[in-house]
Amino acid sequence: MDVSKVLKEALVELESTDNEDSVQLIRVKYLGKKGLVTELLKSLKDLTDEEKKHFGASVNLAKEELLGKINSRSLEINKTSINEKLTKESIDITFPPPISHLGKIHPISKTYKEVIDIFGNMGFSVAEGPDIETDFNNFTALNIPEDHPAREMQDTFYLDQKDENNKPFVLRTHTSPVQIRTMMSSEPPIKIIAPGRTYRCDSDSTHSPMFHQMEGLLINNDANMGHLKGNLINFCKDFFQINNLKVRFRPSYFPFTEPSAEMDIAYSIVDNQIKLGEGDKWLEILGCGMVNPKVIENCKIDSSKFQGYAFGLGLDRITMLKYGLTDIRSFFNGNNNWLKENGFSLGRI
Amino acid sequence: MKFTYSWLSDHLDTKLDASSIGEVLTNIGLELENLTDYSKTHGDFVVASIVEFKKHPNADRLNLCTVNDGSKIYQVVCGAHNVKKDFKGIFAKEGLYIPGIDLTLKKGKIRGEISEGMMLSERELGLSDDHEGIIELPQNIADGTDAVTALGLNDPVFEIAITPNRGDCLSVRGIARDLAAKGCGTLKDLKIEKIESSNFKSPISWFIKDDGNSCEYVLGRYFRNVSNHKSPEWLVKKLISIGQRPINALADITNFITIDQGRPLHVFDADKIEGDLTMHLSKEGDKVDTLDNKNYKLSKINTVISDSKNIHGIAGVIGGLVSGCNETTQNVFLEVASFKPSGIAKSARSLGIFSDARQCFERGIDKAFIQKGMDYASSLIIEYCGGEASTIVEAGNLNSNPVFIDYEFEKFTKVIGFNLDSSKQIKYLENLGFKILEQNKTNCAIEVPTWRNDIESPIDIIEEIIRLHGFEHIKEEKVISTNEEKIKIENSFSNKKFKIYERVKKILASEKYQEIITFSFHSAFSHASLKGDASLKLSNAISEEFGYMRNSMFGNHLNVLEENRKKGFEQQSVFEIGPIYQDINSQDNILSMMAFSIKGINTVFKSEIFAFNKLSTQITMLLKELNFDIQQFVIKRSENSMFHPGKSAELWQGKKLIAHYGAIHPFIVQEFIKAPEVYAAEIYLDNLPLDSIYNIKKVSFFESSYPFSKKDFSFIFKKDQNLFEVYKTILGIDKKLIQEVDFFDQFYSEEIGIDNKSITFRIKIQSKEKTLEDKELDDVFSRVIDTITNKFDAQLRN
Repeated sequence: MDVSKVLKEALVELESTDNEDSVQLIRVKYLGKKGLVTELLKSLKDLTDEEKKHFGASVNLAKEELLGKINSRSLEINKTSINEKLTKESIDITFPPPISHLGKIHPISKTYKEVIDIFGNMGFSVAEGPDIETDFNNFTALNIPEDHPAREMQDTFYLDQKDENNKPFVLRTHTSPVQIRTMMSSEPPIKIIAPGRTYRCDSDSTHSPMFHQMEGLLINNDANMGHLKGNLINFCKDFFQINNLKVRFRPSYFPFTEPSAEMDIAYSIVDNQIKLGEGDKWLEILGCGMVNPKVIENCKIDSSKFQGYAFGLGLDRITMLKYGLTDIRSFFNGNNNWLKENGFSLGRI
Repeated sequence: MKFTYSWLSDHLDTKLDASSIGEVLTNIGLELENLTDYSKTHGDFVVASIVEFKKHPNADRLNLCTVNDGSKIYQVVCGAHNVKKDFKGIFAKEGLYIPGIDLTLKKGKIRGEISEGMMLSERELGLSDDHEGIIELPQNIADGTDAVTALGLNDPVFEIAITPNRGDCLSVRGIARDLAAKGCGTLKDLKIEKIESSNFKSPISWFIKDDGNSCEYVLGRYFRNVSNHKSPEWLVKKLISIGQRPINALADITNFITIDQGRPLHVFDADKIEGDLTMHLSKEGDKVDTLDNKNYKLSKINTVISDSKNIHGIAGVIGGLVSGCNETTQNVFLEVASFKPSGIAKSARSLGIFSDARQCFERGIDKAFIQKGMDYASSLIIEYCGGEASTIVEAGNLNSNPVFIDYEFEKFTKVIGFNLDSSKQIKYLENLGFKILEQNKTNCAIEVPTWRNDIESPIDIIEEIIRLHGFEHIKEEKVISTNEEKIKIENSFSNKKFKIYERVKKILASEKYQEIITFSFHSAFSHASLKGDASLKLSNAISEEFGYMRNSMFGNHLNVLEENRKKGFEQQSVFEIGPIYQDINSQDNILSMMAFSIKGINTVFKSEIFAFNKLSTQITMLLKELNFDIQQFVIKRSENSMFHPGKSAELWQGKKLIAHYGAIHPFIVQEFIKAPEVYAAEIYLDNLPLDSIYNIKKVSFFESSYPFSKKDFSFIFKKDQNLFEVYKTILGIDKKLIQEVDFFDQFYSEEIGIDNKSITFRIKIQSKEKTLEDKELDDVFSRVIDTITNKFDAQLRN
């Protein structure tokens, strides 16, 4: 067999290929287990040493050349076919994709997270209580006896069902019953916040029959009004992100605290927008006070040993103030347009 | 509570102006709600005359007026129809703010003519809605007089909120007393002339029935031959200044004393009374016509005043119409009473009556002022209505035991946080009318003034002192977290729960679910549709729409989706984490998800229709993110009637329902929303074992470097075979070697039998220790085949 003839044939065949499969067929035909070049190598065994040396070298040379050519042909074909594919595979990248959003987190959820974090950093853990409460927990234990004028301060929702004291169940009008539940079930020191849903029969742009409140309660040996003041001012600074926050505490009345106070923060109107923290107008932010010793006693805790403070604030209200939202009803009607505008995207939460 | 600066000045000698008084009121706990001080807002407007006027050359309805304000002449363009020569009115120069129309005047031309100011109407002044021409004043007022004086508006009006504990401040006297105690001036002496009776006995006597009614004590006095005409000018003015309507002298005198002294009184036309008067509890169903021209149906909790024939009033709340006084009244009977506060509160609340008398009585009146109240009213009646006063009749007993408190000065520091000298503490108390009976270095004994029914313990005393001293003096202390508290927070169940809620919200938002918050109540219709418990009915719902506590959020969420659909949202996914109520005693905080899509029109970006598999994939993913494998739970078809019976599932762990989800029942869907199918899920987050979310066991990472092999199996199962069971069984066959099971095909055909299904899954086998030989692989395969065929009565295909 003529080595150069075989090589020449192979190269001619290779030249005429235009796809990877034919290249591989050529590889098998010449270099495979029974390929023509392989056969030539096998025939070496029948030759003399001198012939082996000469012929063997030329066969090996031919094999290497062929292998190189096959590989480069293969690469060439691959390149050509991808290039061809590329010219065919152009899509219209200008076709406008439909606008698509991820879901957003409700502003109230953001506030929940923030108040839990801020008070958490000051050592308050979260406590909870049910929305459907007994008259005792919602009123009586909080020093709001029946027929007390303070009951008129809140428009209460009642349920038809009565509790074991034959009083109708109520929807809690504030988160304060969690104070009672916590003091009834644990020993001081107590340091809790209780965010949750609360209810009053009232409905307009600033009142919703359901709203969110957060109660705070701290009971120990020596918590005083100075702690209360410092605690709440720091919270407001943190929450509203205003360092020089102008605030005032003024006397008020809640049956379950004494002395009672309301905390206002200053604001002004700049370009028709509320600017918090400075100015000569005041916004009521929360109610607070030293826990009335009667309430502490109602919860079977010795008021001569333990004292402390409590506060309650409207979570919807502080959310509205922080983000400049005006109608509380839009918090709860699921309006997709409002939620897209005022909800928080995952990138901002 | 409304009063004017001049009324306050009847009781308080003060140098402070109205706005300073207003500030002090808020600072001592009598919150100023509104201060109408016209001198601040209207002080720059002046009286001016229109000296001349002519038609505006370019506008038919306008006039060019020459206006003289006493010092200068102005040209004013005016459109009022009542303009005339020598007209006197109120003038605003350019640059002034006009409150009624919220506008600052600028010098300018109106239709080409210069206008240097404006003649004002009542509406422009913000006094009323009257815009029928500009205000006209009498000629005798000099030009240049300020508008406040000219219009008699120089008495600022205060409106303050009185908290339920401060009955004593439901009177101008009481407010003045508090202000004086704070140091805003001196409380003037109250001069009340004592009227001696003529020598005639009251023909009417008082009786208090011993039936548990709320009257404790009552005085009465008969006045004969009075003449009840219009009240004197000062009294009419006073009542009008705080927005009350003057009626006649007798009625006005009682109203005046109520506001001035917080001492409600009542006058009966004595000629309408038959026999004596008795305080007693009403009979169920009795009716009475009252002075507010209403008719009330009474019950056994209302204390009433009756003679032998008629009911003459709801005691302590409102008088009766029959014996009301009018101009023809000649003989009058005066009532001055003391009632139990709770009885009045109960009585008035049951009837929904809000009167000044009720406010005073339910907070408690000054029991030491009953006789004085009688004297005050008597002197005014005699002075303005004439007549003769009888001897005084009475009934009942006055329990007016003074309240004594033993007070420790140190207590102030303990509660308020800073030290206040005992002498200062005492000063504040004495200013407020407290009597210090005894005193040493540490303690004192205090007698509470009769008008302070709210003070009964040391904490009340502390509040009085700090209220007057000023909350601004309380020093802020820092509150920080201790290590124990940090640990407590870390272990707190509720803290953990809220953290998990946050994670869930983020996961769902990333799956395009919008977070919503809806009311905890829903409509009677939703409640019926979703089979809610009857115990969840609200007695006083604001409307049918919110009649029941929700037993599921589906009703509310379907409404939300429908409202948004109407706005053009054809693909929506929403979720809420919040409470649902099974009955009055049980509240579950759950995650509720809901989604639907209507086939979109976009053929380039095709959107997938929301269906069961998408929902179950999302739930699987959500649970996986929380460290739970959905297939570890027991799955069942849901029997809950909210769902489509064939397209819904329940996940259980032991006896705890973890979730139910699927297509909402078409019967329900069609009642709420125009959508072909709606999918929803309720996931009982609180039933998930929290600790397995938190305590993720760190197993040291080990990746097998040996080859794996995958093998597909197809079996024919009974159609109702629970594949979660099959899944769990396969994993259990060889926990070391079987790494994954992946179900990927399912079909039904007649060929395999209509009661059967063909299921295909792939298992991945890999050892952590070595390369498996064919023999070992075959062994696993045959164990899989044996187990499946035997345990589930299945047949291997092919």
